[in-house]
Amino acid sequence: MGARQAIRRWWSQFWDDVKSSTDAGLLAVPRFLGLLYGPIDTRLPIDQAFRKALGHRLPPHVGWRHALGGIAYLLFILLVVSGVLLAVHYRPSVSEAYPSIQHIVSGVTFGWLVRDLHVWAANLVVLAVLAHMTRVFVDAAHKPPRETTWLAGILLFFVVLAFGATGYLLPWDQWAYWAVTEALHVAEGVPVIGAPLVAVVRGDPFVSGATLSRFFAVHVIVLPWIAFALLVFHFTVIRRHGIAPPKRGAPPAGPGRRFFPNHLLRSLMVAAVVSALVISAAALWPRPLGDPADPTRLPASVRSTWIAVDVSRALAHYVGPWGFAAFSVLGVGLALMPLFDRGPERQLRRRPVVAALGTLFLAGFLAAWLAGRQLRSVPPPATLQHGQPGVALPVSRGDSVGVPGADSLRGTTP
Amino acid sequence: MTFLIALYALVVAARPAPTVAQAGGGQVTIPPDTAYGCIACHADKRTAFVMGVHADRGIRCHDCHGGDPAATVLPTAHRGRFVGKPDKVAIVSLCGSCHSDPDRMRQYGLPSGQVAELRTSRHGQLLLNRRDFHAPTCTDCHDAHMILRPDDARASTYPTNIPATCARCHQDATLMARYGLPTDQFERFRRSAHGVALFDDQNFAAPSCVGCHGTHSALPPTVTEIANVCGRCHVLVSQAFAAGPHAAAARDGRIAGCVGCHGNHDTERVPAERIAATCGRCHAAGTRAHALGTEIEQDVVQATADLHAAEEAIGRLTRAGRETGDAQFRYRTALTAYLQIAEVQHNLDVERLEELTRRVRSISRDLQGIADVAEEHRWEHQLFLVPVWFFALATLALALLALRRLERGSRHS
Repeated sequence: MGARQAIRRWWSQFWDDVKSSTDAGLLAVPRFLGLLYGPIDTRLPIDQAFRKALGHRLPPHVGWRHALGGIAYLLFILLVVSGVLLAVHYRPSVSEAYPSIQHIVSGVTFGWLVRDLHVWAANLVVLAVLAHMTRVFVDAAHKPPRETTWLAGILLFFVVLAFGATGYLLPWDQWAYWAVTEALHVAEGVPVIGAPLVAVVRGDPFVSGATLSRFFAVHVIVLPWIAFALLVFHFTVIRRHGIAPPKRGAPPAGPGRRFFPNHLLRSLMVAAVVSALVISAAALWPRPLGDPADPTRLPASVRSTWIAVDVSRALAHYVGPWGFAAFSVLGVGLALMPLFDRGPERQLRRRPVVAALGTLFLAGFLAAWLAGRQLRSVPPPATLQHGQPGVALPVSRGDSVGVPGADSLRGTTP
Repeated sequence: MTFLIALYALVVAARPAPTVAQAGGGQVTIPPDTAYGCIACHADKRTAFVMGVHADRGIRCHDCHGGDPAATVLPTAHRGRFVGKPDKVAIVSLCGSCHSDPDRMRQYGLPSGQVAELRTSRHGQLLLNRRDFHAPTCTDCHDAHMILRPDDARASTYPTNIPATCARCHQDATLMARYGLPTDQFERFRRSAHGVALFDDQNFAAPSCVGCHGTHSALPPTVTEIANVCGRCHVLVSQAFAAGPHAAAARDGRIAGCVGCHGNHDTERVPAERIAATCGRCHAAGTRAHALGTEIEQDVVQATADLHAAEEAIGRLTRAGRETGDAQFRYRTALTAYLQIAEVQHNLDVERLEELTRRVRSISRDLQGIADVAEEHRWEHQLFLVPVWFFALATLALALLALRRLERGSRHS
């Protein structure tokens, strides 16, 4: 009996200590247990900073529509986690890329989930970012003093598109190979800068192992660091300026909602639903693999499974390289919108020019996306200039990764 | 300035004579035209004089034609043992004067029996026995002056050039009419399995004309020889044929061996769906032999379909993202059995044929089953959604509850 009472007494003492050690609660455990943490905390007021962060109050007009940016961030985190897991098994070489995807899908425990989660999150993050930008645009939340937030966000949007464009090639199947071939072909048509830019990106007269290495390096090394830096900047500026005030009415009075635990609980609800939705999409509609990439064999038609590819293909197909360039200029113009749309007016109806341009861009983007999904175009043939140094026709890999004996079977009728 | 120009002219003049790449890979320097007298008049033979295997070995005009190469004017140049332009029969003995000498040919690794072989050939019989000057001599196939090695792609004796070389005469209708020969061999060969392999696939293991007819001893194989000629390459099929009932008929000359079913110049595989029709050329419908042919046809058609289904199943597996190593090994096994069917068809061993067909079918069915399962709705993946949504909804509910309590608490205070 005595022992039991002793334990109970020790436990209540421990729990009281934990509760009284901080109002933040979470840090109590490391502080209580850690011999190191105490001395550190006295020098670096981490606990104080953390408590300040948790005690931050959001204005009362912050509603569910403000969750869009958070959803994009959540999808970004999902992409980072699933991407790291994929990178463990993926091998970025012409001969191994496709088999390693097969291995991920069929050999690795939950590899199918990781891969399709990555695919779906990559698609949905574009939609989430677009929705977030639309919300900011309609709310005129980009107006001074929040222009830098908007610019960082625009850059993040381009980073997201670049992530998708580089990641799309990595499975090295026929769709990936020829969609990228076609996209680079389109980009080559962009006046003045197109051709030299594509030459650098492709690294070879046609999409090859050099292209795969470049895309992989950019996808897993370059872009993540850029994205990380931009995100840190984006979030820092948001915290600095605070959430934009409501469009109409006086700036809100009152203390607002605490970040912890009220706002965090609301975020948790959104995160739970979004994560479950992405996982459901991944489990219900897996992206199938095409045939292994074969530079010597044109597929009957190119099918795209990624938003940015859809959009660029539709633009290139229906409006040509100049239309593609014009649309890009419109996009860049909107990106620089805070430079000219600086008036105090925040109602969308009272800024007709900007509203029209923004609607045009968004409608064009969505229309191009839908059209690109329906587009079954035939890819351009490889244009190899004779006598160009270092040009060698790629050797057919049909026999090494395709069906064995398929070549010898041709016409074999005993 | 004038001095400089003169210096430049000197330098240009002093440059070594241009060189010409040789068939053997070596380079030979063209000697100045004036050093060898024959070239002074016979400038049109100059290319042949510096190119080809004879030029490589230092064989010059006078080695075949006689005369005096040190002279540059007639009649001194054509003095002595001068041959001029030999006739077709003389050409054979002229070439043979070196090429029939084993002691001279040994150093080049060349055979020395060409003239002896030529005597046995139809060409040689016509030319040497009957003095028929329409028949070809050495220079008609090998060129008179620029003789290139058979591994030189420009040579008339290069594997892909041989059919055209033969066709120079054998496509000539007026010439062939003298001997009652057809002229469509080249066209038929071009479309045949051998022609496709040789020209389209550049497969030099495939026979050109000389593969079956011989080179210098060119003759059409006789009816009883045919199975042996084909069997030189088609070893297993030939053995199977020898063990079957048709071999006896071929030995008696009642059927023309392989050619009886496959054609001679337009050699083709008999397509699976035309096996019975081929049997029907000799065996009337309703006979036991024709029924056997129909049975074989059904089995082969079935096996072909099964093999294609297996191939297609591997494609489906691949697209479903599955690893296909094991399936591909099994496909190999099916392919081996399928190729063995070709042998069995030639000895008419129906029991073995059915066994092989069954093996192809069983592997094909297995692979299709595996592909079906892989493609099937992924139940285990969808079941995974149950715990996912349970946790998501539980989080949602608990968070909602906690929020309500918090808000009620704050309003209360």
